[in-house]
Amino acid sequence: MSGLAIDMTGISKAFGPVKALVDADLRVARGTIHGLVGQNGAGKSTIIKVLAGILKPDSGRITINGTRVESLTPASVERLGVHFIHQERLLVPTATVAEAVFLNYELRFGPFLRPGAMKRRAEELIRTHFGLELPGDTLVRDLTTAQQKIVQITRALAQEAKVLVLDEPTAALVKREVDSLFAVLRNLRAQGIAVIFISHYMQEIEDLCDEVTVMRNGTDVGVVRPGETSIDEIVSMMIARDVGEMFPRRSHALGAPVLRVEGLSQAGHFRNVSFEVRAGEVLGITGLLGSGVKELVECLFGLEQPDAGSVTIDGEVRRFANPGRAVQGRMALVPEDRRAHGVATDMSVRDNITIASLDRYMTRGFVSRARENEAVDGFIRELSIKTPHRDQLVRNLSGGNQQKVALAKWLSCQSRVYVLDEPTVAVDVGAKVEIYTLLNRLAAEGAAILFLSSDLLEIAGFCDRALVVYRGTLNGEFAGETLDSDLLLAAASGARAQRKEA
Amino acid sequence: MTMALSPSSPESPAGASRGKALAAAAIRLGALATFAAIMAYFALTARGFATPFNIVNVIEQSAILGILAFGMSVVIIGGGSEVQTGGIDLSLAANAGLCAAVFATATNAGLPAPMAIAATLGTGMLVGAVNGFAVVGLGILPLLATLASMNIVAGIELTLTENTVLSTSSPLLSVLSSGRFLGISALAWVLIAASVIVGLVIHRTPVGLRLYAVGGHPEAARAAGLNVGLHVWGTYVFAGLCAGLAAILIVSRLSASTPGTGELLLSILAAALLGTVFSRRFVPTVGGTVLSVIFIGFLANGFQLLHLSSYWVSGVQGALILLVVAVTSYARPQEH
Repeated sequence: MSGLAIDMTGISKAFGPVKALVDADLRVARGTIHGLVGQNGAGKSTIIKVLAGILKPDSGRITINGTRVESLTPASVERLGVHFIHQERLLVPTATVAEAVFLNYELRFGPFLRPGAMKRRAEELIRTHFGLELPGDTLVRDLTTAQQKIVQITRALAQEAKVLVLDEPTAALVKREVDSLFAVLRNLRAQGIAVIFISHYMQEIEDLCDEVTVMRNGTDVGVVRPGETSIDEIVSMMIARDVGEMFPRRSHALGAPVLRVEGLSQAGHFRNVSFEVRAGEVLGITGLLGSGVKELVECLFGLEQPDAGSVTIDGEVRRFANPGRAVQGRMALVPEDRRAHGVATDMSVRDNITIASLDRYMTRGFVSRARENEAVDGFIRELSIKTPHRDQLVRNLSGGNQQKVALAKWLSCQSRVYVLDEPTVAVDVGAKVEIYTLLNRLAAEGAAILFLSSDLLEIAGFCDRALVVYRGTLNGEFAGETLDSDLLLAAASGARAQRKEA
Repeated sequence: MTMALSPSSPESPAGASRGKALAAAAIRLGALATFAAIMAYFALTARGFATPFNIVNVIEQSAILGILAFGMSVVIIGGGSEVQTGGIDLSLAANAGLCAAVFATATNAGLPAPMAIAATLGTGMLVGAVNGFAVVGLGILPLLATLASMNIVAGIELTLTENTVLSTSSPLLSVLSSGRFLGISALAWVLIAASVIVGLVIHRTPVGLRLYAVGGHPEAARAAGLNVGLHVWGTYVFAGLCAGLAAILIVSRLSASTPGTGELLLSILAAALLGTVFSRRFVPTVGGTVLSVIFIGFLANGFQLLHLSSYWVSGVQGALILLVVAVTSYARPQEH
């Protein structure tokens, strides 16, 4: 028997004219953690769906734990010991931990459930694998995101998984939780379980994986070992582009201050915050959860109201009662939760892009479809929004492309100030670069950009200058040499005292 | 590429969920306290309310409502308690009316009891299967699908009975209406037996657990390998079976099938929805449904003894539905 837990060879799959997979291979050895990386659309999720038995491949061979399988169904894959931890926390909110772990594989006595046994067994599994005391009768909806992830994994372990496939498992976890998840995965590896780890976070791939399969354009373009291959090389394999362009440079000169914030305070969140953003400048701002940075940005945009202080745009003092006023004041916000605030997922790409600026497409009191279409097609081309046509519903686009639609909406308003709240969360590398390039173009045209992100490498790599909010006050300003992710982290976590740097 | 400091967490802080848990507990206790207070009020003011005879009488009267409320509860469990899109069977009462007409007609036509029963239960389950097909197969919202079938079924009942009372009698019916065992009437036994059986299946077997999962989060249930459609379909067929069973009890109690059985719908809904208040997850439970069925029975009985118009009972039930739906939607944590 070979040492391979999963051996997928020459897998091809086409949807009509679109070739989603072309002769792709994925080989995962027992007792290893295997990374699977690639941009959205590279074929990662298609090959995983083939493995899950959700999609039938057009051709190719699949061997699981030495058993050649001809046709897979979701049920037969589970019987072969392959389990999937979905990105969405697919758990029943009204179930208890024990019920969620054993759903469809209930422990029973004759026809009857053994609730006590299921509770004890679930608690025992969680204790053994995670070193955590989680009462088996807690309701899933009362768990934290990380705990729900743990329940999902425990469910697979309860069925004696031999292969565990995790799709973006860390997307909603904080650092400490990520660390303990990694400890669990390493522990599983030691027990001989094969783990397939899909992530957009290269740092995690490097920290965790023994081997990485890189996918591009529906096929595997290489299998590398993170110890021997650098992150930059992996990323350039993914995008077939020099990683030096990950954070494209800006060369334009900065203009006069556009946005000036003075002494802004909101009780309980932040106090006496002052800064300015110049025309053409990208100012990064960051802070830990609860630092007040979120509320600060929301105050700027009129989602929240400050208690004191002033906001000046182009020398004029502005106070926005609501986001609508802010838009009229030529300010644009790309909020973090794009599904809730940024885009209307049940509307078309066109309507989303033009909704905030319809009056620009008016002719004699009516919206001119022709002018609208022309502008929208322009945006789709410029931002390379991957959509079959402008009437496609936004819900059918990938996360990165939804984000581009949200950006296009504000571009069509021609704002002076752009406030972006985590614009690249859950966006793949290629789309990230496109978003950076786009922001550079806005900056070059003289816009002032305030960029809120908790990705410190991004802040350090992309922004001209950065501010750190710590417990409601500015804890340092960073530029040039000092604009470094380690220093930013020190300031954000309060490890470094308050101090000004030029 | 990322040093995630504070990735977005949609979760509410632990404090908020504790607040919700407290609110949920308060609602549960409040409901029980209100129940007790109303009972106490009736006991003090309504002559004859607290007598054993009256209490047994109310429980017997509750058997029909109880069986139907079990059907509704199971549909809500499997379809989810989301008010607009969740599981609901508006045709349940009308279906019971049709089944009663079928049973009376079959008995009067001289069919032996087992065959009459089979025809009745078969009719109920057939209507349930059609509901299930409309909901699962055609993807129509349960609220609309069963509203439509309610009217269809009521129409068929009218054609069958020509809107008249179909009197009937048979040995089986006399046993059901006046038989006693251990001093408890046959009707009450049926309610007890049904409660035990449905309670065991829903709360003590994998079937029940899976139904709750299907209703609570269909995608999660599907990801766990469950056949969601089949489970939902099953709940409507079960509701139809309940309609058939209840129909036999109705005919035995009245010695006839009568028009107007459809008016039970409000009580059934009130009982099934009120029952959700007694669970910490705000989902229907068999115990909760039994409690609210008996509560509703006592409510009607108390009104009668106080010589209040029975029209008020409908009003109170309607208000209860509004109150329960409002309170549980408020206290149910936002999911997804």
